[in-house]
Amino acid sequence: MSIITRPWGRLTLAGKIMLPLVALLVLLTVLLLVGFASGALPFLLGLGGQLVGDNIDIARFAAAATALLLFTVPTAFVIILMEMKLIAFVNLRVGPNRQGPWGILSSTLHGFKVLAKEDFTPTGVDVPVFTLAPVVTYLGAVMTIMVIPFAPGLFGLDMNIALLYFFAVAGLGVIGLMMAGWSSFNKYSLLGGLRAAAGIISYEIPLILAVVGVVMLAGTMSLNQIVANQAGTFADWYVFQQPLGLIIFFIAAAAETGRTPFDLNEADSEIVAGFATEYSGMRFGFFFFAEYVNLFIMSALTTTLFLGGWNAPLDAQPVLDFFNVTLNTALDPGALGMGLLFLVALGPPLLILLFTLPIWMLKSDWSFLKSLVVGFLLFNLVVMLFVGIWAYMTFPFVAGLFWFMAKTFTLVALFVIMRGTLPRVRMDQLMGFAWKWLISAALLNLLITAAAIVVLRDPSMPWN
Amino acid sequence: MTPLWYVLGFAFAGVSFVFLTIGLSWLLSHRTKGDRHKGLPYESGIDTFGDTWGRFGLSFYIYALLFVAFDIEVIFILLWALVFGDLLLGGFVAMLLFVGILELGLGYAWRKGVLTWK
Repeated sequence: MSIITRPWGRLTLAGKIMLPLVALLVLLTVLLLVGFASGALPFLLGLGGQLVGDNIDIARFAAAATALLLFTVPTAFVIILMEMKLIAFVNLRVGPNRQGPWGILSSTLHGFKVLAKEDFTPTGVDVPVFTLAPVVTYLGAVMTIMVIPFAPGLFGLDMNIALLYFFAVAGLGVIGLMMAGWSSFNKYSLLGGLRAAAGIISYEIPLILAVVGVVMLAGTMSLNQIVANQAGTFADWYVFQQPLGLIIFFIAAAAETGRTPFDLNEADSEIVAGFATEYSGMRFGFFFFAEYVNLFIMSALTTTLFLGGWNAPLDAQPVLDFFNVTLNTALDPGALGMGLLFLVALGPPLLILLFTLPIWMLKSDWSFLKSLVVGFLLFNLVVMLFVGIWAYMTFPFVAGLFWFMAKTFTLVALFVIMRGTLPRVRMDQLMGFAWKWLISAALLNLLITAAAIVVLRDPSMPWN
Repeated sequence: MTPLWYVLGFAFAGVSFVFLTIGLSWLLSHRTKGDRHKGLPYESGIDTFGDTWGRFGLSFYIYALLFVAFDIEVIFILLWALVFGDLLLGGFVAMLLFVGILELGLGYAWRKGVLTWK
């Protein structure tokens, strides 16, 4: 037991929640008092403002990097929960249903559980390589998120070689897996690491070859530009010009992220847990984390390249014009005058009561307090829905983010259902499929696309 | 700032994120030394036997060699695809020759049975 966990274990649940809060508040109060009394805080704030103002590029970059890194955490939790519930649905089970309503907190709690587990280093391992392996794997997964365009104006970095950068950095992940397999001093780990290396490098070639068709059509490798090229209706998406490319890319992406049916590198019925056998605690957690971030990133890249990125499938404006509807989303709260005050003061309680009363009357065995809580939650949901709709119509980046996430998570769900339905392939099938069939199909796709572009655009053709 | 600095900065941020989380986990978790058997590699309950960092299948090496050849091909193809809109027919014929030679190599490897996992 460490110095922190022993007294911690003796606390009750309420104490575990209250103690950090109280300690934090006391610390903050003391710091603020001392800071203001000595005049150091205003001085430091001024200095900090000056510093940020002088280095606005670096400050903006730091904020964006932190946001992107923290964004991966809830994404992984949501995908893990999706996996648990969807595979349960496929298997006709209930799935996790204890932590929170419908078990929605279970993946988050699992994550925090891993944080509190013992991080053990076995005796025979190569310690520096063993410790660095999860870092390299996670870095290979997360650094690619920089170039993904989430919405108009919402991306990490717009590079003209974004696609090349993506594949170059994604290749880093396999080095981490090999490091883990080699340093673990375990035969299963070594086998898992080697399988991961062989599988991932083999599928990397069809993965990149499938994208070449899109690069030819778009004439650029900047992901923002590729998304901009697909603007319009859903018929402008590259999936309709590159259907074979999408299928090859999707299969190769499943192998690249180590998903069933290609999860030979951690096949638990053959080689324990593959490269992760000797890992425990947070270092194991980061392998797991990297896998789900990878899954999200691959789905996001598929969306960006083939499914139009953040473009909506249909533009709503012609429909609105047809029915002669004009949406007025410009809100002016000041125009209400004193009415605003009454609205803010009386609106929420009245609405909450409006939601509460039917529940209280219909559910006769519920206490009024319970119905009030449910009514309050319903009220919040409705308000969030309305604010969301208003934001969707007012800000283009909210609409873009909505469509991007909807498409990406549909693809993630497809990967998850694949895991629930398909059996694992053998090693020789895995390698043979990549080298004999996928590469040939990708080259065929390349040939057809190039020939079509030549026939349609070349000025030496008689019909052009 | 050039994109390179952004990339390096983001890599630095990522590494710090991982190490901060591992450090937090080090503070929160318990640690015990355990006996001799706790440190042994887990090989399904049997004590480890023989050399771990020894020899392994040659097939991995052959696939890695093939991968290097094709990965370099892919880099050339990507650059060619980028300017394909200007090259058109000439570029198409040139790339057909280039890919054709590589495909001959792949066909040779296939014929020799390299692509069959042994």
